[in-house]
Amino acid sequence: MENNSPLPFSAADDAAPETGAAATSAFAPRTDLSGLSRHAEAIRQELSKIIVGQHALAELLLTAILADGHVLLEGVPGVAKTLTAKLLARTLAVSFSRLQFTPDLMPSDVLGTSVFLPNKSEFEFRPGPIFASIVLIDEINRAPAKTQSALFEVMEERQITQDGTRYPMTDPFVVLATQNPIEQEGTYRLPEAQLDRFLFKLNVGYPTLEEEVAILQGHHSGLGGTSLERVQAVLTADDLRQLRAQVQRQHVEPKLLEYIARLVGQTRAHKGLYLGASPRASLSLLNGAKALAALRGRDFVTPEDVQYLAPHVLRHRILLTPEREMEGHTADDVVQQIVQQIEVPR
Amino acid sequence: MVIISLLIRLRRLSCLLVLLVALTPAWSKPKPKPQADLTVRPLPADRTTIVSLRRPAEQQLREFRAQREFQYVEVKSEHSAWDLFWARVWQWFSSLLATRGGRIMWEYGIYALLLIGFVFVVLKLMQVDITRAFGRAPRRSSLAYDTTTEDIHTLDFSALLAEAEATGNYRLAVRLGYLQVLKQLTDQGLIQWQPEKTNHDYVHELGASSLRPPFRELTQQFEYVWYGEQNDLSAAQYALARDARVAFQRQLASTRHAA
Repeated sequence: MENNSPLPFSAADDAAPETGAAATSAFAPRTDLSGLSRHAEAIRQELSKIIVGQHALAELLLTAILADGHVLLEGVPGVAKTLTAKLLARTLAVSFSRLQFTPDLMPSDVLGTSVFLPNKSEFEFRPGPIFASIVLIDEINRAPAKTQSALFEVMEERQITQDGTRYPMTDPFVVLATQNPIEQEGTYRLPEAQLDRFLFKLNVGYPTLEEEVAILQGHHSGLGGTSLERVQAVLTADDLRQLRAQVQRQHVEPKLLEYIARLVGQTRAHKGLYLGASPRASLSLLNGAKALAALRGRDFVTPEDVQYLAPHVLRHRILLTPEREMEGHTADDVVQQIVQQIEVPR
Repeated sequence: MVIISLLIRLRRLSCLLVLLVALTPAWSKPKPKPQADLTVRPLPADRTTIVSLRRPAEQQLREFRAQREFQYVEVKSEHSAWDLFWARVWQWFSSLLATRGGRIMWEYGIYALLLIGFVFVVLKLMQVDITRAFGRAPRRSSLAYDTTTEDIHTLDFSALLAEAEATGNYRLAVRLGYLQVLKQLTDQGLIQWQPEKTNHDYVHELGASSLRPPFRELTQQFEYVWYGEQNDLSAAQYALARDARVAFQRQLASTRHAA
């Protein structure tokens, strides 16, 4: 994540709060989260074989995987967005597919198409590359809205409908998409309906000086590079399903549910916002907070979990008014303002 | 210029042609064709045929007259009560405007309305909330936040803690104990109490103080018990939490005395 970013939610804030598995033994979690912690640590270890730094990014990606959500990675070229997504997919022993979005890409290139078989005199559906457990969509915002629309059903309902026939996706099904900032040449803004289907939008920033030196040292000594063969799969689809079931059983104090609803609801009433977040954002915030709490060794959610994830869940779901944009504000600024305005349940 | 001169010449040419046609001798005109004799002559009177007069049947005429389509009765329009009301209103308004005072009021009333409209538009553009000016509460979301959260400065912690411990409500007792610690830290100026802050904000506010590690421990205990919904907390578990809190409060008191 952005370590030297002036944004309010930079790496300094991304650091885990001083709580977690090291809590008093008398109040240890009632749920055994040791398996989850072990798997998470193994994935982190595999990622760190190639990726230098980006610990917060790795934690958020794991959170999204556990929360059964899709992730949109945004950053300028060369900050290892695609590499990180590929590595994460490699740590999971599930089917993987990669799509390079281009301006001339058609929906059938993504979903698949029905082919006529002359010998049988019938049509047969040929699945597209979307039929995989981990789908990496590279440069997603280089395809037009027509192709983006093809992803609406599959991202939300985990199925596609072709010629009146429903084709369900395998479980797990996660879309990891990368994009350049919309100010970059040849990019388009994704439709709001599609953005809303991403659990998180993670801004991938530049590494720190120390991290960049470490990247150079690794490359110079021949240990670095991008040899993906060094990364091993450490989590099966069955393991992942079990961990997700465990995450769903996390405790959430009722006041925290109200807190989440108030945070998201405030985006709809904020004068600086043209478009507020949807109820799907509330669900995303809840699911994400449960997964993050589990990753941090707790079987319950705290307000810190919600606050920590709020910018990642909300920044792509809200639209600033033109006045706010002209004043130089960002979505993160407004989210931070909202977080600071809402009373924390205690 | 060339076009105009061409037009003038064309006109002269057409006039010349007309003159030539008029002067053409009569022999050059085509001879009229012989026409049929179309003179109308009256028919000879037929005095032999008897003309019988045919009259419509009276009964049929009466039936026709009885039909609805032949009833040409003009219906007179009647004013409804609503029309009469508005007629009276307009009459009253006209009479009002006929007076000098009415004319002045009308003239200045228009200006006043324009002024009010202008001020309203300006306030809306400046996004000023004017609902409070009319005594109406600002619009709130349907899910209003619970404003009855405890005020740590007004709670009687000793009595509430004793009551919670006596009734075996250890979860509440842990909560009250933690809030009491927050109040003591606030009273000593070590943290700035604000409802929008999280517990870990207060941990960070303690900086590198020796109070930070035990306070972090207390915070973790509180979170496990409260956010973790540990409703079945045992007396032994609560005793641990209480001992940690009391020890911290002693340390806090000694810090105050040392200062």
